[in-house]
Amino acid sequence: MSPELLIGIIITLVGASTPILFAALGELVAEKSGVLNLGVEGMMLVGAVICFAVTYNTGNPWLGILSAALASAAVSMIFAVLTLGLSANQVATGLALTIFGTGFSALFGRAYTGKPLALFKSVFPDALATHPLLRAVFGYSPLVYLSLAMVALVWWFLAKTRGGLILRAVGESDISAHSMGYSVIGVRYAAVAFGGAMAGIGGSCFPLMLTPQWVEGLTAGRGWIALALVVFGAWRPIRLLGGAYLFGLVMTIELYAKAGGGIAHVVPSQFWAALPYLATILVLVLISLRQSSNTSAPACLGKPFLPTN
Amino acid sequence: MDASRPFRLELTGITKRFPGVVANDHVSFSVKPGEIHALLGENGAGKSTLVKMIYGIMQPDGGEIGWDGQKVVMSNPKTARKLGIGMVFQHFSLFEAMTVLENIALGMDAKIPARELEAGIRKVMDEYGLVLDPHRVVSTLSVGERQRIEIVRALLLNPKLLIMDEPTSVLTPQEVEQLFGVLRKLAVEGCSILYISHKLHEIKALCHTATILRAGKLVDTCDPGEETSRSMAEKMIGASLKDIVRGEGRELGEAKFIVSDLSTGKLGHFDVAVEAVSFSVRAGEILGIAGVAGNGQNALLNALSGEILAHDASDVTLDGQPLGRLDTTGRRRHGLCAVPEERNGHAAIGDFSLAENTILTARDRMSMVVMGLINSGAARTYTGKVITEFAVKALGPAALAGSLSGGNLQKYIMGREILQRPSVLIVSQPTWGVDAGAAAAIHQALVDLAAEGSAIVVISQDLDELLALCDTMAVINNGRLSPSMPVGTVTVEEIGLLMGGVHGEKAAEDTHAVPA
Amino acid sequence: MQFRLEKRQEPSRFMLYATPVAAVVLTMVLGAIIFTTIGFDGVGAVREIFLTPLINPLKWQDLAVKASPLIIIAVGLSIGYRANVWNIGAEGQYIVGALAGTGVALATWEMTGWWLLPLMIIAGVAGGMAYAAVPALLRVKFKVNEILTTLMLTYVSVQLLNYLVLGPWINPTGYGQAQTRLFNADQTLPYIIPGTIVQLGTPIALIVALVAWVLMSKSMFGFQIRVVGLAPHAARYGGFSENRTIWLALLVGGGLAGLAGVLEVAGPFGRMVPSFPTNYGFTAIIVAFLGRLNPLGIVVAGIVLAITFVGGQVAQTTIGLPFPAVGLFQAMMLFLLLAGDILVRYRLRRVVRLPAAGEVA
Repeated sequence: MSPELLIGIIITLVGASTPILFAALGELVAEKSGVLNLGVEGMMLVGAVICFAVTYNTGNPWLGILSAALASAAVSMIFAVLTLGLSANQVATGLALTIFGTGFSALFGRAYTGKPLALFKSVFPDALATHPLLRAVFGYSPLVYLSLAMVALVWWFLAKTRGGLILRAVGESDISAHSMGYSVIGVRYAAVAFGGAMAGIGGSCFPLMLTPQWVEGLTAGRGWIALALVVFGAWRPIRLLGGAYLFGLVMTIELYAKAGGGIAHVVPSQFWAALPYLATILVLVLISLRQSSNTSAPACLGKPFLPTN
Repeated sequence: MDASRPFRLELTGITKRFPGVVANDHVSFSVKPGEIHALLGENGAGKSTLVKMIYGIMQPDGGEIGWDGQKVVMSNPKTARKLGIGMVFQHFSLFEAMTVLENIALGMDAKIPARELEAGIRKVMDEYGLVLDPHRVVSTLSVGERQRIEIVRALLLNPKLLIMDEPTSVLTPQEVEQLFGVLRKLAVEGCSILYISHKLHEIKALCHTATILRAGKLVDTCDPGEETSRSMAEKMIGASLKDIVRGEGRELGEAKFIVSDLSTGKLGHFDVAVEAVSFSVRAGEILGIAGVAGNGQNALLNALSGEILAHDASDVTLDGQPLGRLDTTGRRRHGLCAVPEERNGHAAIGDFSLAENTILTARDRMSMVVMGLINSGAARTYTGKVITEFAVKALGPAALAGSLSGGNLQKYIMGREILQRPSVLIVSQPTWGVDAGAAAAIHQALVDLAAEGSAIVVISQDLDELLALCDTMAVINNGRLSPSMPVGTVTVEEIGLLMGGVHGEKAAEDTHAVPA
Repeated sequence: MQFRLEKRQEPSRFMLYATPVAAVVLTMVLGAIIFTTIGFDGVGAVREIFLTPLINPLKWQDLAVKASPLIIIAVGLSIGYRANVWNIGAEGQYIVGALAGTGVALATWEMTGWWLLPLMIIAGVAGGMAYAAVPALLRVKFKVNEILTTLMLTYVSVQLLNYLVLGPWINPTGYGQAQTRLFNADQTLPYIIPGTIVQLGTPIALIVALVAWVLMSKSMFGFQIRVVGLAPHAARYGGFSENRTIWLALLVGGGLAGLAGVLEVAGPFGRMVPSFPTNYGFTAIIVAFLGRLNPLGIVVAGIVLAITFVGGQVAQTTIGLPFPAVGLFQAMMLFLLLAGDILVRYRLRRVVRLPAAGEVA
């Protein structure tokens, strides 16, 4: 394998992983606080379409990303009010959020169907960003560096700060946290909003990095893969990063197999398209084999909390 | 105790209502500095609600709280802690997956560097003789150790008032003595203690004053030293105590229910497994199994009831019939019924009607299913019989189980199993959280069932209950069961040592040994 | 003045049935307001989506055609949800069921006989069951969350469908168009009301709902499902195996989704095409909840959702409302229903402050 090909694969892999990395990081924080939000796919779609519209109209991708984060955080508040305020079933509400996001992005995105958008490319000088070897370090969209910074930030927050300790405590035992005077619902609102914002940024990766024109349902189930990734990462940010790049590799295989020749053509292209989903299932099985004795899921994950007063 | 100083805590007319019930009805009393004040009452008398309001977890609907002579509003636990109130909860407010240190840090309102906090913890532990490793994860600790975390956490705040909610229900008699030592030392140093319990001999041994609550109302404030246990109990219950009536000249029959070398293997990581348990129960005999909570009682009940299958069919036999490989339905068909400790979600389903809950366990023995279809008439009739014979306060078979009070639900569950006339009945914590009247009725029903020739196993953490009820006793500790002993021949001290893990014959020989 | 939620002693039966109705009505009101605000004809949209299909008798047959698969799938899902088994990949089981039926049809396309259709239906049910057996096995053997596996398998099933209709199953006389050959007369569902497009699928849907209602409310099967879903500990105590129930729930859900799939491909479609997946499997989730997981309620809910589909098409042609707007209406309906759920168990009380009482948190 030539170095150029290898670097090409790395760049594709990192690009394909970044949206699910953002979304999974956000979901990790929400789940650590005890909330299972299955609406990631819907929030990503909302983020994608808002980012597309804002970037298309203003020409400023940063504004697009910010709007996507705010929009998805706002949408996540529908989920938060229902599940935290009214203790509605988290599974059903998350599904409803995905249905909502799908409809919203389809309706809102119609005006942009087929319209082009410039990719949000590396901001380093061309000498570095397109250098045959150095582009493996400098050749990425700013979103990629942002995602890595977020991994570090989330790790630091959860492991090293008092806020992180309280968030974990709320996810571990809501009753205990409440009886010690912490606002369980308040912490969870914040965690859900953060999850929403991150899903929005993840969604904005699609128009800015991957498919620079509007297609309906362009996230194609990546939000669900992000959910699986949280399980795969055992609710730890660093393992999540490794898992995201592993999924990126599987998706890259699909792209190269479709383009390349040889053995890849013996197998139908639909198999390669199905591979990331099959790989997700396989990975879930492998995790459960390894974790059978020691599950690390937050103890209150998905359970509603309504303080008696 | 200087009378001129203001009261540490003064409650005036505290009232709290919940839908359909007044949990506290104009409760007023006061606690002096350095006083150990008992709050006494049956389950459901309103003790826990009252202290939750003092600690700021709940807000009163009416009345005032005074603190060192000032009127205060406890808007949340942080306010309470700032004033100097510490609390040790009955159901610990701990985070299982976190370390002792992290748990204590969460109880501090300011951010304290881990190193300083650890030094503070070690100082408190030295001072009061409490042993604990700050870096252990809570899920690996015993119940007694978990309580120590809560106590250390409260002491680190230099409390002026320490609230202890039923602290001894999870301790061995020896651990209770150790705890009392800590509390007495605190009181001498000027800390007031509000001690919630329904165990009268503890209150007599420890407390200066006792306030008695019944059905949300204050009945009396008295000096426990001048009262007898019986007089306090009658104030608490509001009626005179009933004794268990036993038939004269009872004779125990042949060994009916034999368990040999029963093990459950490793369970989930919060459950203690049962190892090589053997015992036998004769027809007409009541065997009591004592032990501190969390020593394998749940696993034992599940292994006996059939929720966990045995390795060999012959590990559990009833009248010589091997039942070890049968599930609960199979064992029930052979006449083995069981009542687990947890009422809600295990022995009964709150969202189901009583008639539906009857189908859960009585469908085969009472023929409620015909060709896969439910005969709801039969279920209603049987449920009606349970309600009548066990004086269950419920609107009828259609009432939801969740709408019954704890005591009534327990009477229903016991009735549902006892009226099936099982040859073997296994019950865990039959009167846990049940008022005295209902407890007496349940005890009497168990004695009557034994008198008809059934073999009965009672698993309980309440030694007084077991001593009053049982013919024979054994102790479970860390998943292992001691040999059975006739009740007349053992002392509370011996049982206490077995509960603390000093095992078998050695304990019987050396009853004066005190565990370190 | 403040309000607070107060737990009811028993869940309110009135609210249980009133909240879905209120959710539909509120969706109409809020939908009209929201769509007007974002620049559409909001009142027109609600009128066309919710009322036109009901008022115009010509549209009733469309309702029957759309509601039937929704009802069949939702009944299966509701049984799973009652057991706390979250199969959200009914779309995949629906597709695989239809593919199994198609496989039989293509293998027998030169044959005739009354037995062809029953054979296809059996194959469809078996296909849906087999596809749901994978998540069931993974959940029971490896404790893998069925939400994720059923969903992942849906994406896989779409690829399988594409592969088959583009490759081995492509119509040899179709000039390379990605579709199978047309099923023959014995392989297609008969019309049951002359002069309409109502096929055998509709009575089958009603029978499925009725049978499921009897099973769920009167039989030990339903009792077991409900116990396992509500209280797994109590289920073990009562002698019901959780694993067996998971298998049952997923097989029934998958089998019924497969049945809907084969009825759809042998009915309205008449052949397998790449555009076969129409999100019935996902919409059925809304139907199941709106119908309160009760088979009879699901019949009503299925018709309501069918109205929005048919009405959405009407609105598209009459007032130019984009079709995805229907998805927003459906999501809104589900949101409002879930929000209303709390009124079943809690009542809203005005808080009266007593003097000197603390703040009400």
